[in-house]
Amino acid sequence: MERGFLEPMNDLLYGSMNRWIDESQDLPPSLEVDQLTKRFGDFVADDSVSFSVRPGEIYGLLGPNGAGKTTLIRMLTTLLPPTSGAARIRGHDIVREKGAVRSAIGTVSQAVTTDENLTVEENLSVQGKMYGLWGRQLSERIAQRLKQVDLLDRRKQLARHLSGGMRRRLEIARGVLHSPRVLFLDEPTTGLDPQSRRGVWDMLEELQDADAELSIILTTHAMDEADFLCDRVAILDRGRILCEGAPEALKRGLATGERAEIETDRPIHETEREAIEAIGAVNWRIMTPALVEFQSRPGEGIGRRAAQRLEEKGYRVLHLTIAPVTLEDVFFSYTGRALRES
Amino acid sequence: MLGILAICQRAYLTLWRQPVLIISTMLFPLVYMLILGNALNRQLRHIPVAVVDEADNAFSAACRTRVMALESGRGLVTVVFVADRESALQDLRRGLYRGVWILPFRLAPRGPAPAFIGDNTERFSYETLESALSQIWQEVSRGRGQESVATAVQLEAYPYLDYLSYLGPAVVCLSIFMGSMVSGGLQVIEDRMYGYHEGYLVTPISTGTLVAGHILAGSVVASLAGVLVLFAILLLTPGPAASPWSIAAATATVFLTALAISSVWFLLFARARHASVLRGMFGIINALLFFPSGALYPIESYPRWLRAISDVDPLTYGLEALRDLLLRGAPAQTAYPRWVFLASFTLVCGVLTKVLFRREI
Repeated sequence: MERGFLEPMNDLLYGSMNRWIDESQDLPPSLEVDQLTKRFGDFVADDSVSFSVRPGEIYGLLGPNGAGKTTLIRMLTTLLPPTSGAARIRGHDIVREKGAVRSAIGTVSQAVTTDENLTVEENLSVQGKMYGLWGRQLSERIAQRLKQVDLLDRRKQLARHLSGGMRRRLEIARGVLHSPRVLFLDEPTTGLDPQSRRGVWDMLEELQDADAELSIILTTHAMDEADFLCDRVAILDRGRILCEGAPEALKRGLATGERAEIETDRPIHETEREAIEAIGAVNWRIMTPALVEFQSRPGEGIGRRAAQRLEEKGYRVLHLTIAPVTLEDVFFSYTGRALRES
Repeated sequence: MLGILAICQRAYLTLWRQPVLIISTMLFPLVYMLILGNALNRQLRHIPVAVVDEADNAFSAACRTRVMALESGRGLVTVVFVADRESALQDLRRGLYRGVWILPFRLAPRGPAPAFIGDNTERFSYETLESALSQIWQEVSRGRGQESVATAVQLEAYPYLDYLSYLGPAVVCLSIFMGSMVSGGLQVIEDRMYGYHEGYLVTPISTGTLVAGHILAGSVVASLAGVLVLFAILLLTPGPAASPWSIAAATATVFLTALAISSVWFLLFARARHASVLRGMFGIINALLFFPSGALYPIESYPRWLRAISDVDPLTYGLEALRDLLLRGAPAQTAYPRWVFLASFTLVCGVLTKVLFRREI
């Protein structure tokens, strides 16, 4: 009786979700990038970059400063002509159909582009007119967006009097004012405190909840941000995409899904490190002579066994952390260096 | 059209929120007019002149009386009678006097005549003094009872204008120049420097609309400054009474001049990225646009190469139209050819800017 009641409910719930996923995958991609390259003289900022983004997807371009993320975004938003390759946004070529591309996209640049001498509302009013919004339609849209970014009560405030987080939210409200199909965000949380960052993340999720077909492409060098927000990420380094996929899949894709950090009371001798390697520790990072990090197969307790071995050899283990790998580890596994070192 | 409106709205609001800019835009030309207008008013006063009377006869007495009259009447000179010609000339060389007038021994209409030794380092005072003293001698030497010479007819076509009033239209043009620089040229560069321009470069408005919007935005603020200064001048300077029609035509001239000057700024900064470009070019542009326009001296006095600059300078046409309308009381139709030039100039600059404008970062 109970099963009979639940089965149709499950069908209704999961069936509709699966249908949405299938339909989303059936829709033509919002963004297709094909071998896009940008050269500045001899310097190659982006080298044959290819990827595609589906409607409703949040796609992260992850990489250190200088990886080519901003250049890529500038090409896709028609602010820089590519040297070679092609890209289409909602089927429109970024070089030949710039007007159509500009109508389809919204951008939130790394720089603050709202005018500090205008109020929150005036900034949106000016931007809305550039997209042909006018009169009641414009004022309703402004109110709607300000409500979404939680700035409605500050609509009359000058932009220069907003905090960093609020200013960033205003930038995002401006980027989505005209209901773009593809939203580009270049380092949307750089320079924000943790609370403001979280506020921006929540807001982006809410924006997408409100518009299921809105595709968001964001660049970041914050792995936790990409992990939290993105359906898929591409890791860029020196202008090339190193790997692409869902964050979980990328992490699972590593043979070493567990990370251990051990700190001892004195420098760990080479002999001990070799002994720990012998039980399956790989990808060593020696932070200090007494603080090391390594990866291992998950679920085999290698981190704990390594700490035990060190204690047996007379070391005092001050600190032991065992955690699943992060995107930072994925980056490390591809480049051989930490993101923060890049 | 909405795009143009948006750019104008932003320029207007930005400037309105920075009252210092708009006040300085209007205040600078007015101060300029008051200082320069009074400094160059051509009404010389109290020029120190030494008179050495060596003749001591009836003719020299008549000369002395008339020089004294110059001092007490128009106040043109401050007369010092010096007995010794050598010491008078020494003091002239020390800068105590601008001129020494020597009435020589046996001064008479048939000679010897008075001698004027003037400080010609400054031509204007020299020529004024020389002319006034020559006139005195002519009057004295003609003498009583002699046949009088028919006086040439000399009439002024317009009511008397002092230099301050003459400078009025030039000051309106200067305020247009300043206003368009602050709201047009400077804003374009600031937008690029601070990244504001990214906000509109990624919008679907066309490059032509962007260029037109910026030119119009710059000219709206410049016109506002120009019109406010125009009305201030009409109140401040005792010029001929301007009719409502001539004021309306002057307002239209201000707007068209502002359009033309804004288009120059935008053309020059179509590709500039740093405010240092503006700082570096301001002096040159000021010299190239303001001075050749005939703002301070008549164009007829310029050498040929300067006349060529003047011929393509939009300020020349704006200024001439304003002078016709405000000083000469000419009908609005006289300004039409100048309006056509200003509109055509704006169009040419706008098209060139559209070609040069980079919609990229």
